[in-house]
Amino acid sequence: MSQQDTINYDAVLSKFREDPFAYVDINAMHTGHIRFHVREGDKVEGLTGDFRHIKGTLLCELTRERNQKPIHCTTNGEVSFVNKVLDGQFVQAGEKIMTIRHPLKKREIIEQILRDVLVPFAAPEKAKYYFAMDIQNRIEKFGQRSVSVKAGDEVFTMSLMKRDTPVYYTGEAGIIHSVYFKPGQSMELGEPLVGVCPPEKVAVVEKIITRVKAEWE
Amino acid sequence: MGVDFPTPKSLATYIQEEELPRRLALESALPVSDILRYGGMVGSEIHAYTSLPRCMDQARELIKQHSKQQQSLPSGTMLFAESLSGSKGRFQRVWHAPDGGLWCVLTVFNQWSKRVASLLPLVTGVAVCETVLANGVAARIKWVNDIHCAGLKLAGLLAETHVCRLSGEEYVLLGIGLNVNNRHFPSELQKTATSMTRQTDSGFDLATLALDLLAKLTWNIGLLTWLDEQDKPLAIFMDRYRSHCDSVGRRVRFGFDVQEAPQYEALVTGILDDGGLVLHHLQDDVEIVEHGGEMEYLPV
Repeated sequence: MSQQDTINYDAVLSKFREDPFAYVDINAMHTGHIRFHVREGDKVEGLTGDFRHIKGTLLCELTRERNQKPIHCTTNGEVSFVNKVLDGQFVQAGEKIMTIRHPLKKREIIEQILRDVLVPFAAPEKAKYYFAMDIQNRIEKFGQRSVSVKAGDEVFTMSLMKRDTPVYYTGEAGIIHSVYFKPGQSMELGEPLVGVCPPEKVAVVEKIITRVKAEWE
Repeated sequence: MGVDFPTPKSLATYIQEEELPRRLALESALPVSDILRYGGMVGSEIHAYTSLPRCMDQARELIKQHSKQQQSLPSGTMLFAESLSGSKGRFQRVWHAPDGGLWCVLTVFNQWSKRVASLLPLVTGVAVCETVLANGVAARIKWVNDIHCAGLKLAGLLAETHVCRLSGEEYVLLGIGLNVNNRHFPSELQKTATSMTRQTDSGFDLATLALDLLAKLTWNIGLLTWLDEQDKPLAIFMDRYRSHCDSVGRRVRFGFDVQEAPQYEALVTGILDDGGLVLHHLQDDVEIVEHGGEMEYLPV
C-alpha cells in the first residue's frame, strides 16, 4: 500500500477543523523551586523580532542554588493548563509544569501533516547554521525542491564561536522540501533544520499542500 | 627558504628557557609546569613551506595523506608558509598574505569536552594577542577573535572542524594570519588593515615571533586542557580573555556576516564564561546573548 493510500485526508483535515490548535507542554529543564508568573487563560507571546531575538512572555522562574532561571514562552497562544500545586515547590528536571494552546495557521497545519511524511534533520547543537557551499549553489541554481541529499552529504555548516563545522546528512535520501531556519539564525539543539522528502512521497506531499491550501480558510 | 622557522626541539628549549620563567612570574596561582605539559602537543611536528595556496588546505591534505597510510597526523602539527597565493578569510573574503607575514595553521585533535572546545577560537585569539603585545604592539581582541590595533585589523583567525572522510578522525584547524613585516595592502584593505611594522616602524624577526606564538599557543591550549581535565571553572581562562578584549562598552553593528548582511545595532554589555557575547539591542531595548556571528565597532 502506498503512502498516498494510507493518509485519510478527510479525517486529518476534520481533526484540525475540530481542534485547530497545537498543545505545547512546558517542562522544567532542571531541578529547582518554581514560581509561576502566569495563570490559566492568560494570553502569551512567543519569540519575536526579525531574528527571534525578543524573548516571549515570562512563564515562570526556576531557582536552584540561588540562581534564577527564567522560562520564557516560545510560542504565542493561551495558557491552557498550569500545574498549580507546584507553585513554590521543588520540581524535578523534565516535570511538566504547564501547557500552551497555540492557534495553528494554515502553514503550520501543512507542516504538522507533513511531519508524518517528511524526514526531519535536527540541529546537532545550539548554533547558527547555513547551507554548505555546494548545496547553496545548487539551491540558487535549481531551486530548493530540486536539490537532493543522501546520507554522508555535507549539507550544512554549523557556526559556533566563529568555528565552522561541517554537518553531514544522516537520514533517508530525498529532496530538501522544507527549510525551517534562516542562515545565521540561532537554532536550539534538536530543532529541525530541514524536512527531506523521499522521492516516492513527493506526489503525496504536493497533494497535501494543495488540499489544505484549497480547503482551509 | 628565507625564514628559519622553529623546530619541535627549538620550541622545547624556548619554552623551558623563556616561557616557563615568564609564566611562573605571571601566573603564580596556577600549576605552570603542568599547564605547559598539557599544551605540549603544540608544535609536535612543524612543517615549513616557502609558498602555499592556503595553509588550511595543506593541513587537510596532510591529514588525508596520513590517513591513506593508516596513520594519523599528530595532534599539534603546525604548518608555516612564507607566503600564500590563494588565501581568504571567512565568507570568501579577501586576505592578502605576501612575504613578511606569519601565515600558519595549527592542527589539533578535537579532544575537549563541548563546553571547552567552543572556546578554541578564543584561545587562539589570546595567544596571538599575547604574542603581539610581548613584541611591543598595543593589540586588542574584538570578540570573537579579531586582533586589531587602533581599530585596524592586525590578524585574522579561522577555526574550522575537519572530519577526515577516510579515518573519521575529527581535527580542529586553527588558522592564523598575522601581518608582521608586510607594509603594503591591496586597495580594498588599505583603510582596514595594518601590520606590526606599520604600527612601530621597526622590523621583526619572523622566526623568533613564530617561536613566541607557538609558546603562547602551548600555554593557552594547555590552560584550556587543564581546565577541562580538572573540571575547573572556565572563568580562569575567560578572565584572561576579557583582559585583552575591548568589546565591552562598545556600540556595534552585529550580523552573522556583518559586511554583507548586518542585522542590528547594539551595545556590548558583557562576555560570559562560555564565550557568549551579551548585547543590548538598541532599537528593541532587549538583551541578547550571541554565540556566533561578528560585529563592527561603531564610532563613539
